[in-house]
Order: sequence, then C-alpha cells, then structure tokens
Amino acid sequence: MDDIWWFLPLCESLHFIGMAMLVGVVGVLDLRILGMAKRLPLEPLQRLMPWAVLGFVINLGTGFVFIAANPRQYIGPPLSLSFAAKMLFIVFAGLNVILFYMSGLKRMVDRVEAGHDAPLGAKVSAAVSLFLWVGVMYWGRMLQFFGKSF
Amino acid sequence: MGWLQSLEGNSFSIWLKESPSIWGYATILFIHTVGLSFAVGPSVAIDLRLLGVGRRLPMGPFDAFFKVIWIGFWVNAASGTVLFVTDATSKLANPLFFVKMTFVFLAVGVMIVIRRRVFRDPDLDGQPVAAFSKWLAVASIVCWFGAITAGRFMSYVGGG
Repeated sequence: MDDIWWFLPLCESLHFIGMAMLVGVVGVLDLRILGMAKRLPLEPLQRLMPWAVLGFVINLGTGFVFIAANPRQYIGPPLSLSFAAKMLFIVFAGLNVILFYMSGLKRMVDRVEAGHDAPLGAKVSAAVSLFLWVGVMYWGRMLQFFGKSF
Repeated sequence: MGWLQSLEGNSFSIWLKESPSIWGYATILFIHTVGLSFAVGPSVAIDLRLLGVGRRLPMGPFDAFFKVIWIGFWVNAASGTVLFVTDATSKLANPLFFVKMTFVFLAVGVMIVIRRRVFRDPDLDGQPVAAFSKWLAVASIVCWFGAITAGRFMSYVGGG
C-alpha cells in the first residue's frame, strides 16, 4: 500500500474537482432560473449540463473508491449518519430532476428567452436544487465529525 | 517562529482545534468547501463557454457570475485564514501549502484578466472567441484544479 499512498488523495482531489463542476454548472443554471444574468436564454444554457453530469460521474466513481477502501467508515456497522444523510440528499436531488422533467417544467424552461423570467415552479425547483447540493456538501464534510465511525 | 505559535496558541485557535462541537472546525471546513464550489464552479462554466461549449449563448451576461466568484473567493480567504491560524507552523512547513497558494493567486489573476480583457470588450459577442481568450480559459481550469489537488494532498504530505 505504501507504493500507492497517492491514490486516495488523488481520488479526493478528483472528488472535489467533480464537486466544483457539478455544483458550479448546476448553480449557474439555478441562479439564472432564479433571475440572475437574465440575458442568458435558458435552452442553450443547458448545453453546460453534460459537464455537471461528468462531475457527478467522477464523484460516483471516486465515492465508490472511498467506500471500498474503508467500508466500515461509511456503511458500518454502525451506519454513519452523515453518510446516510448525504446519500438521502443525493436521492432527493435526483428526484427533483425527475420532477423537473415529468412536470413539464423542463419544456417551459426551454422556452425562456433572453431577458425573460422563468416560471415560478422552475424557481422553486432551482432553489430546492441549490439547497440540496449545498446539503450534500454539508453531510460530506460532516463525515469525519458527526455520527462518525471514522 | 514565536508569532506563529502565538497564533496557534490563542484561545480561539485552541477552541477551534480541540472543541468537539460541530459548530467549530467542522463548520469552517464546510464553509471553505461551499466557497470553493462557488468560486471554482462558475469560473469553470465561464471557461467552458470560452472554449466553445454552448456557442449559441451570448458571452456578455456571464459577467454577472463574477460576483458569485468573488463572493466564493472572499468567503474562502476568510475561512482559509481561520484554518491557517489554527495550524500555522505545520502549514508554513508544508511546501504544498505554497503550491496551493500560488495556484490560487494565479487562478484569481487569470479570472481578473478574463474579466478585463475578454468581458470588457464591447464587441464581445460580435466575433469568435480569440485564441488568447481560450488559453486564458485553459490556464484558469489548470490553476483552479491545481489548487484543489494541492489542497487535498496537503493533508497527506509534508505534515500539514
């Protein structure tokens, strides 16, 4: 293991880079829906989204590495409460995206041109998204401190 | 190095490091993480647009996100100062700390140049993105990701 001491810190670095890409791109989109930089039309702005998805995939992969390296720290027993809360928030963020598509908000948002306001439902969805992703970062940071098995 | 020890030795630093309260050290780390996301994330979004993602998007309105970047940066300058003060001697003994700071200052410098040279151009959306601007975008991504990587490795290498 001493030969690959750099592997976990490398995965951590990638996990933070993936986080910045995911929260950065999603945050820019959410803030525009909420009314910032209104001159950006919303359909082409979503062209940035594949980079958020890439960030998520990087974090899914590196996240599995962390669990595989130290399973007891996360799934226990006892189950880490911060880890459970983090996973729950990620699931909620996913449900929020599914709801965004199924409710027809996505189609309404696609029609929001430069200078126009997004519909109220989309604003609620964007605010929930920001709250949940900041929450995911919160529980991730609390892993070492709260409900810990570290 | 007496003043460094007095930085670490003040009651606030000691409380922050030793208190089991999740409102201390853990919360500062969380704030530092949120600041990172809001400084680096929108920077990368701007860089991606400069590099050709979402070509149908006008560049000009992205200017508004520099506000978010600066808020993220100053939140991290403050939370980073607090984290530094609790651990000043070992941070200053760690070469990676200086690598991280160099990358952060370069990244901020590149964002300032992007704002001044690219965004203040009145014909910003009237012409294709200049090669120089694309290199600035690449430099920005390299410096931010370099800062993150040096920061993560700091807790493994060099005793910091």
